[in-house]
Amino acid sequence: MKITVAGVNKEVKDGLTIGELIQQENVETPEYVTVSVNEEFVDGQDRNEKSLKDGDVVEFLYFMGGGSHGFNR
Amino acid sequence: MALTDKQIERYSRHIILKEIGVKGQKKLLNAKVLIIGAGGLGSPAALYLAAAGVGTIGIADADVVDLSNLQRQVIHTTANIGKAKVESAKEAMEAINPDVKVNVYQTFVDSTNIRELIREYDFILDGTDNFPAKFLVNDACVMEKKPFSHAGIIRFKGQLMTYVPGQGPCYRCVFKNPPPADAVPTCKQAGVVGAMGGVIGSLQAMEAIKYITGVGELLTGYLLTYDAIKQEFHKVKLPSNTHSCAVCGDNPTITELVDYAQPTCELKQKH
Amino acid sequence: MANNDIQADEELDITDKVCPNTFVKAKVVIEELDEGQILAIRMNDGEPVQNVPRSLKDDGHKILQINDNQDGTYTVYVEKVGD
Repeated sequence: MKITVAGVNKEVKDGLTIGELIQQENVETPEYVTVSVNEEFVDGQDRNEKSLKDGDVVEFLYFMGGGSHGFNR
Repeated sequence: MALTDKQIERYSRHIILKEIGVKGQKKLLNAKVLIIGAGGLGSPAALYLAAAGVGTIGIADADVVDLSNLQRQVIHTTANIGKAKVESAKEAMEAINPDVKVNVYQTFVDSTNIRELIREYDFILDGTDNFPAKFLVNDACVMEKKPFSHAGIIRFKGQLMTYVPGQGPCYRCVFKNPPPADAVPTCKQAGVVGAMGGVIGSLQAMEAIKYITGVGELLTGYLLTYDAIKQEFHKVKLPSNTHSCAVCGDNPTITELVDYAQPTCELKQKH
Repeated sequence: MANNDIQADEELDITDKVCPNTFVKAKVVIEELDEGQILAIRMNDGEPVQNVPRSLKDDGHKILQINDNQDGTYTVYVEKVGD
């Protein structure tokens, strides 16, 4: 089946779970990544069970720091 | 109040723009923007907002200029090493544009003072580098109903989103809670290309200018990510359902600000 | 000029300005007018008269008439559109 991951079209095996996709994509710090499928958040505990469907649009949203540390230290 | 001839000349490239014109320039001159963090993101943002003629710019940072800052924090100079970052930033902004009133806050912004601090500003720019601070800025802006630009940079990547009360998800809608200390690398541990602050900090300044002048579409409901390795931008549409958010949702569970513990390595690490 | 039957609400001379300050000055003045008011702008031949009326038109205003003053300058009559 075909899905879109971070804007890129990919051919993946049918029934792929979000957990499997996270492994396949080598997602950095997977336990702290926010996942959305078709503009809905998918909670961490649901990722291993939830299978993707043909045409799904998946986004990974990462924590990103940066800036100045002279604040609230 | 009419613009002076000097102002007409200084802001001529804004005035020429159909979307800004004299009206938009006056809005900028009457606007108040607070920049939290005078670092990699805050530096370019402050320079562009000062140049643009944002009438009042607040800048908050407790730190002093360090040699290791100068690779990316372009508002500071070698001569200002050891000087308070807010003073160094004020000097640079005033040198660019005497129209701008700069308010400096050389202080640790925390749960006890942030709400009062942001209250007098129209738009807030988050230029902090750590997650507890980012959640604090978010929660305070939600509580005070203030629009703000969130941004983060690391290595060759950057991202930003804009929160406007009632118009889309907040930072906490997307990221829920700060990660545990050291679970996610910060740019101090992982490094960052200096120009990344220029790219993302300038985009934050652009969001502020657009919000003030009412031009175009903001990054509300979107996270714009930038990957310098691939030289690609990607605009991610965020889920629009904010009902269950702990701070901006229908039944918020966070009604008081909290100071999350800071990552310990940030305290120990010394250059 | 004899062929001028347009009554201007405001007059502006930008013959001492160069690009882009010709248009900038015109824009600053026209933004202060009310919708429907007419501004007469005196400008030099060449670049100003080629560009300023076009830029004002791009901003949505209406160019009513361009008079050749026969002294190397033109007077452009522009009606403010929008507020």
